Amino acid sequence: MEIAKELKPIHRGAEAYLYLIDWFGEKAILKHRLPKKYRHGKLDTLLRRRRTVAEVRAIKEALRIGVMAPAIYYVDPIEAIIVMEYLPYPSLSSIIEGGDLEKAIKASEQVGRYAAKLHEEGISHGDLTTSNVLVGDHVYLIDFGLASLHSTERDNAVDVHLFLRSLESTHPEHVDTVFRAFLDGYRSIRGEKTEKILGLVEEIRLMGRYKAERRTLWGQQ
Amino acid sequence: MVNVDTPSSLGKPRGNPRVLYPLLDWDSEVLVLGIESTAHTFGVGVASTKPPYILSSVRDTYRPEKGGIHPREAASHHARVAPEVLAEALRVAGISMNDVDAVAVALGPGLGPCLRVGATIARGLAAYYGKPLVPVNHAIAHIEVGRLYTGFQDPVILYVSGGNTMVAAFAKKRYRVFGETLDVALGNLIDTFARDAGLAPPYIVEGLHVVDKCAEEATEPADLPYVVKGMDVSFSGLLTAALRAWQRARSKAEKASICLGLREIAYGAAVEVAERGLAHTKKNAVLLTGGVAASPILREKIGIMASYHSANAGWPPPPIAGDNGAMIAWVGLLNYLAGITISIDESFVRQRWRPDEVEVPWR
Repeated sequence: MEIAKELKPIHRGAEAYLYLIDWFGEKAILKHRLPKKYRHGKLDTLLRRRRTVAEVRAIKEALRIGVMAPAIYYVDPIEAIIVMEYLPYPSLSSIIEGGDLEKAIKASEQVGRYAAKLHEEGISHGDLTTSNVLVGDHVYLIDFGLASLHSTERDNAVDVHLFLRSLESTHPEHVDTVFRAFLDGYRSIRGEKTEKILGLVEEIRLMGRYKAERRTLWGQQ
Repeated sequence: MVNVDTPSSLGKPRGNPRVLYPLLDWDSEVLVLGIESTAHTFGVGVASTKPPYILSSVRDTYRPEKGGIHPREAASHHARVAPEVLAEALRVAGISMNDVDAVAVALGPGLGPCLRVGATIARGLAAYYGKPLVPVNHAIAHIEVGRLYTGFQDPVILYVSGGNTMVAAFAKKRYRVFGETLDVALGNLIDTFARDAGLAPPYIVEGLHVVDKCAEEATEPADLPYVVKGMDVSFSGLLTAALRAWQRARSKAEKASICLGLREIAYGAAVEVAERGLAHTKKNAVLLTGGVAASPILREKIGIMASYHSANAGWPPPPIAGDNGAMIAWVGLLNYLAGITISIDESFVRQRWRPDEVEVPWR
């Protein structure tokens, strides 16, 4: 990847490097999914292409239904590159860690609404964590590489589980308040359907063999 | 079959307990006996505050002639081999029960009937010899004995075995679980495939897993489902798809490509979630542990992944990476030094005891 060699990444993620570039006079993010030598070459190429395409498609659908996400400027599936809108905002994760709980709660409620809207359209995010939410004037979801456009109820429940687990592992002291806000947002869109998804969340959390039965976090014993 | 490990067969641990656990007192000599019986292995080990730290590790693993582990049959195996394993562990360590300062036991997580065998023996020994009883979480034992052998101060942990697939790291007084399997564990996936495809038992031939052996003749991996969600993996769809493809496969080459596809996808996904954990927590080391850590192919992949993040990668020797009594003795020792014991009345087994439920007092 020629462009990337001359640039310094502004973020080195597990999967991709992000570069800040000039895109016809606008600041933009170039996201390059890196080859991984620990995967078989053929499998790696296939995965990076699939995820690049999945991300672009899911973002397009998200924007269509009013879920804020970075606008896509350019995509090259062969090189696994996406150029997208630059959003200079802090993540929900850093807002929680910074102690601005009021802001975090408001944002989480919006994330709940976004997740519900996506799920209503059969879209699951696949990596819904506090690090993949940016909070500015609007709340934005990012990192749609693991998204599915044909999600089952179980996929939707996995999204909810992932959000809850990112709170448990990274922000254990704020699990209850932040997750409650997320659920308020989710319920405001999906209503009764929410309880069914929560039932599946509990089921998922008991499937991996040795998990603790937890007290229910959503107050319906 | 009894496996006996001594300090010389295990090699010298790289970690220095005084550096790894500065809060604990390493000056006086303390000896702890540890008992492991959470799944298919019954193991007893002895740990000491003084080098070589692990004085013995003796284990006997239940191997069903066909099918998977039946919890009750595994439990009766454990009860049958226990006296011999215990006596051998003491003999190799060169001590008697009277020399032991405390008896540690893995109270979970694991299979109920198996856990109860270890707990019953530990309670009996503690009561008869008047020794304190120390509770140990099996997953934390894998992590801490891994730190002892690798010397890693603060690693991201990929714990992969027949019953567990977990990405964990220490944060805010506990080992937090960042990712895990949503259904089947990595070891279970590979063994179940091998068994249902008619490749096993035996599962290991000439030091290699039969699935790795079958994959050797393949060039192209079969296209099978690769499922990573956040830092979680899901293997049930992969298992079903691989077995279906196997039934349809006609040539040996086709079968080999299924083995390669299954292995590459399973290991690739496990390494990928560990990489996500490493990037998320920004730690500088990756500890691979659990029974599947014996795989040279998985180790190589973990090493490559760590190099992308300028992190170290390491793993304990296979007899210590898999289930064993020495790791229970080791964390029993840490717990005992930190003042954690349990009364016999309260020493219930906990089949679903998660590592993030345990506040770690020695870090």
